[in-house]
Amino acid sequence: MSKQDNAAPVGGIAISDRQSFALLGGAVLFMLIFFIGPLLLVLWASFNPQSGGHLANYAAIASDDYYWGVLLSTLKLGFWVTLLSLILGYVIAYYMTFHVKSQFWSRILYVVIVLPLFTSSIVRSFGWIIMLGRNGLINESLLFLHLADKPQQLLYSNGGVIVSLTYVLVPFMILTLSSALQNISASLHEAAHDLGASNLVTFFKVTLPLSVPGVIAGSLIVFTLAISAYVTPSVMSGGRQMVMPSLIYDYYMVQFNFSMGAALSIVLLISTLGLISAYMLLFRHYAAGASQGRVT
Amino acid sequence: MRLSAGKFGNALLAIASWCVIVYLMLPLIVIIGVSLTSANFMTFPPHGLSLKWYAKVINNPVYIDAFWLSVEISAVATAVALVLGVPAAMILVRKQFFGARAINALFLSPLILPTIVLGVAVLQFASAIGLGRSFATLLIGHSVLIIPYVIRSTLVSLAGFDLSTEEAAQDLGAGSTATMFLITLPLIKPGVIAGGLFAFIMSWINVEVSIFSSSSDLMTLPVRIFGEVQSSVDPSMAAVSALTIYLSVVVVLLLDLFIGLRRTGMT
Repeated sequence: MSKQDNAAPVGGIAISDRQSFALLGGAVLFMLIFFIGPLLLVLWASFNPQSGGHLANYAAIASDDYYWGVLLSTLKLGFWVTLLSLILGYVIAYYMTFHVKSQFWSRILYVVIVLPLFTSSIVRSFGWIIMLGRNGLINESLLFLHLADKPQQLLYSNGGVIVSLTYVLVPFMILTLSSALQNISASLHEAAHDLGASNLVTFFKVTLPLSVPGVIAGSLIVFTLAISAYVTPSVMSGGRQMVMPSLIYDYYMVQFNFSMGAALSIVLLISTLGLISAYMLLFRHYAAGASQGRVT
Repeated sequence: MRLSAGKFGNALLAIASWCVIVYLMLPLIVIIGVSLTSANFMTFPPHGLSLKWYAKVINNPVYIDAFWLSVEISAVATAVALVLGVPAAMILVRKQFFGARAINALFLSPLILPTIVLGVAVLQFASAIGLGRSFATLLIGHSVLIIPYVIRSTLVSLAGFDLSTEEAAQDLGAGSTATMFLITLPLIKPGVIAGGLFAFIMSWINVEVSIFSSSSDLMTLPVRIFGEVQSSVDPSMAAVSALTIYLSVVVVLLLDLFIGLRRTGMT
């Protein structure tokens, strides 16, 4: 590292290499000790099972239908939550970006979308517990509208888990999609209209294709958060539906089998990282175009 | 003809959007509604208005202890994240060197890591070095969890920062340290504050990391709520939850008023 290859285009404070080392080093060291170190410990623990050879945990996971079943139901949950978030998120992101002209309303909408993100998932799930109960708002409404003749078992159902987890994660989709949609120039819409395209045609030929990077990024974020969510699935299913994170919790905190819990954590981690890498490889050209849209 | 079809479509879009907005707000409104009830069970809309469930919460040391523990953890973790993160982000923006991308990835990777895996990793680490479930363990987990938010937010605000202002200060005779504190930090202050507030809230609402370092006498507020949510029958649960919602409302409005929510680099 020399002064010549300093990234700064002009001026800036002269910071010596030694000072930079000190300023950056603290944070790097902290992350190495308290983040990378613990992760390596988890990896190490997963290869040192309570009984059997080093690979015993992974062999057990691979050969037991129970684990495959849990993995499958986790992925299914992720799929439905992502699909629902995408539909709901697209509607509101499109509306916010292209139809809300007033600065005031746009700010209000933004607050409404961000507010749930600043509230604990346990508090938000609690809201759904109240609403989905036998005498909750949803059942009362169904009875009132004669859509049901007796209270339905909504709480602790599969649908309840999907609806509430979607609720918890949809703001991520909205924020990602609306930042992608903002990058689509309004002049493209005008051009399409001038050329005689209807709203619907403009949407399918211009807006939707251009928003694909946002759709993919948003889906990826929501999917990875959905398959690693612990609080909402465990509270909303009343512990009846096992997903990967609840299984991990169970091994660590109930059975005190850290090693098996560690192996399952590694499986979850690799599934997540695998998805993200696949996204980066498959859509590199899209990602390059969308990088101004702060795709995380 | 086309115009009216377009109008119909727009109306449909607006209705659908407002349905989504109701979906986003309803659970929070229901919690607040239930917390204000004067009945002894959870009902919405509330039967009569009363603040008695808030009084019950405030007089319950279990909740108060959990509240203060949460405040301490989030405040100290945010301080750690700011002290480590802001200088690191400043160097990352200014210097190009071998491994800079790897270091950047290291700082941001807790964002893509399943939070529960961070939770078990910290537990595993703490039991290996004999820390057990303690304040220090909670603090480690929370600091790692929120450092990315501080770094990202500082990087975003530095990306639009004109380094020639520093040069101007130095031409006028200011030293490096004076320039840093009188010019650079004040100019990126909104980004740093946004990052700090964001980091605080992410720590404040966390369950997945805390739950692995909690014990019966060391529980953050969200973990306490998590433990009681399924067995609770009286509305004091709703009152605690509502109190945390009020806090988020305050933070969101502060962020929006002082920095603008769109510019906080959240997505």
